[in-house]
Amino acid sequence: MMKKYIYTLLFAVALVGAKPALAQHAAYDMIVDGVKVIVQPSGNNIVEIQTVLRGGVQNYPASKMGIEAMAMRALTECGTLKHDKNSFKNALDKINASVYGYTNKDYSVISLTCIKGDFDIAWQLYAEAVTEPKFDATEFARIKQDAINDLKEQESQPDESIDKMADKVAFEGRDFAKEPEGTPEIINSLTADETKAFYNSILTRSRMLVVVVGDLDSNLIQTRVKIMLDGLKKGTPVEMKKSFFRVYNNSFKAEPKDLATNYIEGVTSGPLVDAPDFDAFNMAMQIFYDRHFLNIRTNNGLSYAPQTWFDVGSISVAKFIVSTTMPNKYIAVFDKLVDSTKAHGFNASELANMKVTYLTGFYYKNETNYAQASAIVDNEVMHGDWKRALTYMTNIKKLTLADINNAFNKYIGNIVWVYQGDPKKVDPVLYKNGTSHVGDNPVSN
Amino acid sequence: MVFKSIKHYVLIVAGLLFTTSTFAQLRLPDGYFWKQLPNGLQVVVIENSKVPLATVQIAVKNGSFTEDSVYNGLSHMFEHMFFKANKDYPTQAQFLKRTQELGAIWNGTTGYERVNYFFTFDTDSLNAGLKFLNAAIRFPIYRIEDMEKERKVVDGEFQRAESDPGFQLNFEVEKRVWGDLFTRKNPIGIHDIINTATPEKMMVIKNKYYFPNNSLLIICGDVHHESAFTMAENIFGDWVSSGSDPILKYPIPPFKPLVKNDIFIKESTIAKTPYMMFEWQGPSYATDSASTIAADVFSTIVTLNSSKLQQALVDKGLATNVSVGYLTCKYTGPIQIFIVPNPNKLKECYAELLNQISMWNNPDYYTDDQLKDAKGILLRNDIMAKEKPSSLPSQISFMWCSTSLNYYTDNTDDYQKVTRADIKRYLDTYLINKPFVGGMIISPDLNKTVNAASFFAAK
Repeated sequence: MMKKYIYTLLFAVALVGAKPALAQHAAYDMIVDGVKVIVQPSGNNIVEIQTVLRGGVQNYPASKMGIEAMAMRALTECGTLKHDKNSFKNALDKINASVYGYTNKDYSVISLTCIKGDFDIAWQLYAEAVTEPKFDATEFARIKQDAINDLKEQESQPDESIDKMADKVAFEGRDFAKEPEGTPEIINSLTADETKAFYNSILTRSRMLVVVVGDLDSNLIQTRVKIMLDGLKKGTPVEMKKSFFRVYNNSFKAEPKDLATNYIEGVTSGPLVDAPDFDAFNMAMQIFYDRHFLNIRTNNGLSYAPQTWFDVGSISVAKFIVSTTMPNKYIAVFDKLVDSTKAHGFNASELANMKVTYLTGFYYKNETNYAQASAIVDNEVMHGDWKRALTYMTNIKKLTLADINNAFNKYIGNIVWVYQGDPKKVDPVLYKNGTSHVGDNPVSN
Repeated sequence: MVFKSIKHYVLIVAGLLFTTSTFAQLRLPDGYFWKQLPNGLQVVVIENSKVPLATVQIAVKNGSFTEDSVYNGLSHMFEHMFFKANKDYPTQAQFLKRTQELGAIWNGTTGYERVNYFFTFDTDSLNAGLKFLNAAIRFPIYRIEDMEKERKVVDGEFQRAESDPGFQLNFEVEKRVWGDLFTRKNPIGIHDIINTATPEKMMVIKNKYYFPNNSLLIICGDVHHESAFTMAENIFGDWVSSGSDPILKYPIPPFKPLVKNDIFIKESTIAKTPYMMFEWQGPSYATDSASTIAADVFSTIVTLNSSKLQQALVDKGLATNVSVGYLTCKYTGPIQIFIVPNPNKLKECYAELLNQISMWNNPDYYTDDQLKDAKGILLRNDIMAKEKPSSLPSQISFMWCSTSLNYYTDNTDDYQKVTRADIKRYLDTYLINKPFVGGMIISPDLNKTVNAASFFAAK
């Protein structure tokens, strides 16, 4: 039984008038054997498929974190029932198709990218990887070493390392503190058999979502997905466990590292994905990014790449990150900026300009099939509404200054700060004191 | 072609001026249009209506290839100052505000042989966006106080890179490969030069290289070529030519060939897992464009899972990742192998790599099927590379600076024509028994255990 729904690009028409916004046909969804399949025709010769398995860190205990990431890696690196690892990878090479799995804190994705003319061959390999992975023990031993190497590489990359440290410190005691990639010790202890058993436990129709971006016939998609799903258990649906993150006291934790500069990251609250002020806060953070850039980089030369962003998940948080040789000056400027923004708010031209930037960003993200598929996945899993990927600008248009100012004031509060670099260069007290909360006054700490 | 999967920390390269006869034979992909303005500015318009956006880019034949030790890093500093202040937007706050009004997504890059600046915005803003680009490229304002702030930012970019063990290894390898002309392959520059940069030095760069006859303007997106050409001419038409080719006026010195293998070990506490890198001086577009094509085909062959290289190193668990690549340059491009080795099998990994390289020129090192598969991959890569409209200007400007527009247009077809003899000539000329630089970055703790110097040495 299949239901099919057709949706038009409401937002595009609303903003650009009669001119077609995108050179592609309307997206639609259908249910195939209980699994939602969302299709966005692409207007090009590339096919992108993303099959989602929901659950993320809910799927495993802290003692087994990394097991889902290893399962994703094993899908294409440990053979299938029909192909050993080499023949599987060689077949993909012949058509330059990419099949790989990855996981984050809320879900995993098994992705296929290929040229449309190669779809039949590519799909067969993809479906094998999803439904018939072999988890060959010899290959599994090899990829354990690769996974450990990858973890150590990530630890060597300052941007990745500081973000992992921030998550670990900020979410301590919560499920969300689990690191999906695991630790070298846990990875080393995993066996092929237990990872296979784990994968089979999460490979259920109730956890799945399939997104197709490509110019493929609807009946063809339906048929192929149906065959792929045949034999998979229905399983029990998994609900995203949304949780609000609140910081009760500013904190600061440093880790010495022999870096040429120092990395600093702060974590504070953000709205839940279904909160009414979600879009308002997202926009507030985008404008704050510009202010942060202007104050930190342009006006004070404190950092090459000052970043702020709204990190969305079952726990959504605001994050701030800089690399700087002057960490004490950074926090003084940051505190003053937050105080000023809270006291005086954003202004009308900032809001109007950011709406224009959102529009550019919307189309920019629609340039590739991969980005479109990812946006659809994200909106369906996080918001339960894939159409939001196409229509969110309608909500953005309605936002007022009061909306974004209220959201910023509501969520930007105490901050968990972490630091990697030279501890002698930083005064933790300045970070623990926090902003003055008295408006546009210099921070007195 | 840029390195596809090799970790590399510098970007780009430089170019070749067209002759009149070349213009007559100019070839471009469908939907691409070309025009040269009377002042020498070449304009390429790419009609692509996938989304209602326009991307404008200006690329200049500048970058580290033009830099000696007095100016090393200042093409990059110049690129930063582009976004700082100009006659229409005299402060960076005003400049940034204008980007926000345009809803622009923007950036710039500096590489070996190209500096480029690009903005993407709603197609209705095309004329305004071109005016904005024009003000920034032609009428920059350099204030000492702005430069003092930007020096810290640029040096901060350098320090970020230095905090990455991959960059540290790459930097040391490059120093040894390019010797006394290392500055010509070092876009990030030298700390002291960055930290003493002056407005006067910015003007020297501007007055040497920032002319229409040394630049390419690209307009891409949901645009019509005739109206785009008209806008370009109206806005950039009075930009005065230098009258001569800057690259000929300020010649680029040739690199000295390596004379012997140079193998080193670098200890670093931030290298949580070791990396290995090997580099040769490869072909130049200016003197051996055929080998630049063969290089990409061979690199693709040895990246195949079925290749002897991948089977010997990755399949056997000696390495997590092995990538081979050549970066197309007008003036001697690097051939690089980057390896993430299994830290428990460093000696075996290194020995096997040398063994593999020694066999590269054997006729049976790769099969006819692998050659065919590699060409198939390059064909499909071209389709993938052309998917994102806003990325097209950077692809064509890279080739314009380091090769030619025809090279860009013919690139994928030329890959299909490569023969075993072409690959053999490339290998014989640049790799087989040719001196190279090899480096390993490793933590002091691991090095104490493995004593890398006992096996990672020139043979």
